[in-house]
Amino acid sequence: MVVKVEHLWKTFQIPHERRTTLFENLMGLMRPNQYETFTVLKDVSFEVNEGECVGIIGDNGSGKSTLLKIIANILRPSRGTVRVEGKMTPFLELGVGFQPDLTVRENIGVYGTVMGLPRKEIRDRTDDVIEFAGLHRFEDTKLKNLSSGMQVRLAFSTAIQTNPDVLLVDEVLAVGDMEFQQKCFDVFNRYRKDGVTILFVSHDLGAVRRFCDRTLLLGGGAQRVFGETEDVLDRYVYCRSSNGNSPDNSNNGPDSSNRWGNKKVTITDVDLLDKFGIRCKRFNSMDPMTIRINYHAVEDLSDITFGIAIHADDGRHIFGTNTKIKGVPQRVLAGDGHINLKIEHIPMLSGKYLLSPAAQSLDYGITYDWIDKQYSFEVIPTSGDAGTVAIPCSWDSK
Amino acid sequence: MLTSSHLHELWSYRDLIIRLAWSDFKLRYKSSALGFFWSLLEPLLMLLVLYVVFSNLMRIQVEHYQLFLLLGIILWNFLDRGTSMSIWGIVGKPSLVQKVYFPRDILVISTCTTALMMTALEFVVFVIFMAVFRVLPGLTLAYFPVLFVCEFLMILGLSLALSALNVYFRDVQFIWRLVVQVGFFATPILYPITIFPEKLRWIVMLNPMAQIITMMRDCTLYRISPEPLNLAYVAVSTLIVLLLGYLIFEHLEPKFAEAI
Repeated sequence: MVVKVEHLWKTFQIPHERRTTLFENLMGLMRPNQYETFTVLKDVSFEVNEGECVGIIGDNGSGKSTLLKIIANILRPSRGTVRVEGKMTPFLELGVGFQPDLTVRENIGVYGTVMGLPRKEIRDRTDDVIEFAGLHRFEDTKLKNLSSGMQVRLAFSTAIQTNPDVLLVDEVLAVGDMEFQQKCFDVFNRYRKDGVTILFVSHDLGAVRRFCDRTLLLGGGAQRVFGETEDVLDRYVYCRSSNGNSPDNSNNGPDSSNRWGNKKVTITDVDLLDKFGIRCKRFNSMDPMTIRINYHAVEDLSDITFGIAIHADDGRHIFGTNTKIKGVPQRVLAGDGHINLKIEHIPMLSGKYLLSPAAQSLDYGITYDWIDKQYSFEVIPTSGDAGTVAIPCSWDSK
Repeated sequence: MLTSSHLHELWSYRDLIIRLAWSDFKLRYKSSALGFFWSLLEPLLMLLVLYVVFSNLMRIQVEHYQLFLLLGIILWNFLDRGTSMSIWGIVGKPSLVQKVYFPRDILVISTCTTALMMTALEFVVFVIFMAVFRVLPGLTLAYFPVLFVCEFLMILGLSLALSALNVYFRDVQFIWRLVVQVGFFATPILYPITIFPEKLRWIVMLNPMAQIITMMRDCTLYRISPEPLNLAYVAVSTLIVLLLGYLIFEHLEPKFAEAI
């Protein structure tokens, strides 16, 4: 075990009145200060093996960054222990210790030393770093005269010179353009090949899926699950929101301006079912999905079409279909019923989508019920592919 | 704590200490055109004013009073600068505390080292002055480095305590300024200890800085060896200050990243 975390607890005490001076503290001796106690981590235990890449995921405020900082020894645990073997380098922020008034060359020296590079290696590699960052004409320019993009490139080029045994990464990849992110991924792949143990905190589930052997899911500070990345991500994506798919504004009922029809057939609810058949609002890209339209009919009807439309959250119409287009005529009996639309693979790569279910007559002349864009779901990226939709394809060099 | 394993760890971080100290040192002089001459001008101007006032108006009769005064000012400046800069050593570098980890006393040690570099510059001026006034030190100069190391460690001990306390109590800096101001006059810098009646001198000399400055002058300017008892007093008090400083620092260090 390279990293061993045992029964880790972390609580922060936030005083009601923050006393920052000796004077305030002396004056406050009479009135004891009251504290709010926040438990950020609750009994977290896990082990990371050598050469493993472990992802840490969870919602905002679930304690991911705190956990990483405790492993990095920046924060200390309230209870429990953390043991790390070997040289550890945290990438919590790029360019720690950068001095705007020093030159590029001098800053490489300072930052490299902060990241734990020996003096000799810094001397040998300074030119490489400048070259890699594309700053060879600016090496004696003061840092403050560089654009922020150049500064990030410089920081990154310097940081990746380190050769740690354990690497802690916190959302560094979130900054920068596509090309920069790609560079980051290349570097992390190189580190993985070199057998570096990596702990990787990210919101980018696609990146976690691609890089991490195992993943730790935190929720409200507690350790929800720790295991194979695929399983953990499925649990995170599918089991998180079991509160169903009632219309987003269900509190005040569907807005009449977004709903119309003569109500001979009313759509009572729409369920979005994941591959386990559980109601859900988040789906992995390329996973199956079932859209179930629950309805209530006042009378028997054979003149009916059920349909759906999917819009992106920026309003683009992504897809629409109905039972007539697909050539499956429907008839309904008075009372409750439902109809399923099965999607084999969700082709959208990522993003938030709005769903509009509808029931109309066969010639679309009569609308029984139409609920416009009142249901939504989210698609989580699973591959590194770029763009909007997954086009089934494969490379062949023959 | 000052265990051998911690000292060993500090040694492995020596590059970082020197790099941080050196970049800080450069930064202090980069922005001004005259560079480090400004920093030399300050003690020299102070010397001029104090010399005129004290040798003519107050009629202090001391052999080599210019050098006596200059050495006193340089040594006191070292303490003043080292501690005042170090008070910001932790609070002034949030990213180095919150985004990366190395033993945090390194921040204080490197700041004290910056002060040491600045003081070394001033000693260049002092050596020139000694040459100008044709004062040649004797063998007793051998005590100089010993006492100087004591002063450095004393400054380090004070700085550790002050920098850590300033994280939680931001008015420590103002209180410390006051202490330094009073100390400047309560320490025999402008005057020799002999202006006090014999019976009261020991009270003034309880101040280790008074001991250090007096003995350093004696061994540098007047070829007088320090009394072993005084030397021992300085050594012990340095050790106590350093130890106390580390105790306070160690006690407060775990919550630095949360409290900054």
